[in-house]
Amino acid sequence: MLTLHIINKAPDHPRFSACLEALAENDALVLIENAVTALVFDKLPLPPCYALHPDVNARALSQSSMPGVKMIDYPGLVALTETHQRIVNW
Amino acid sequence: MNTLIVIDSLPYGDWRGREALDMAFSLAAFDRPVTLLFRSAGVNWLRPGQAADQLHQKSVERNLSAATVFGVSTLIADKAALRQYRLPSDQLPEAACETDLTPAFYQQFDSVVAL
Repeated sequence: MLTLHIINKAPDHPRFSACLEALAENDALVLIENAVTALVFDKLPLPPCYALHPDVNARALSQSSMPGVKMIDYPGLVALTETHQRIVNW
Repeated sequence: MNTLIVIDSLPYGDWRGREALDMAFSLAAFDRPVTLLFRSAGVNWLRPGQAADQLHQKSVERNLSAATVFGVSTLIADKAALRQYRLPSDQLPEAACETDLTPAFYQQFDSVVAL
């Protein structure tokens, strides 16, 4: 089942690695709130994912975009929830 | 009595950091020597260019800019955490300096407060 994973925990939080472990092929991952600092967290194997742009901007990380990370706004997040059959909030 | 206030949580995720900052400003307002330490994820408080208005919050960068006005003269950043979060030291606020966190560092303070 196509799953959308939404995480708001910082990259050094145990749930962040649990979330990455749970990602299946074709699942989507969205970084929100504290999780957007994963964009600058050293040596983190971050898979292709989405990052919520207002949270990225608030933390002054917009210059830190990584290849494979797509910025989305709130309507973009809503659209993702509509196109996935299952949502996991980490 | 020299007090060290530790901020080790990310900005905007919860209120612990702002409460720690309030504590530091209150101590300074009563002329008590106080130092702010940003360690672990807390170093992200020091990142320039934060646009928290998009979250309908006041930027912690602006809060911190008032530190010297309140009499908090020293902001210290954990050198290892700066590397971990890829924050170059030349981007730190003017009042901030980086240091290695050793037992000797903590021993300089009579009280250490981490919320």
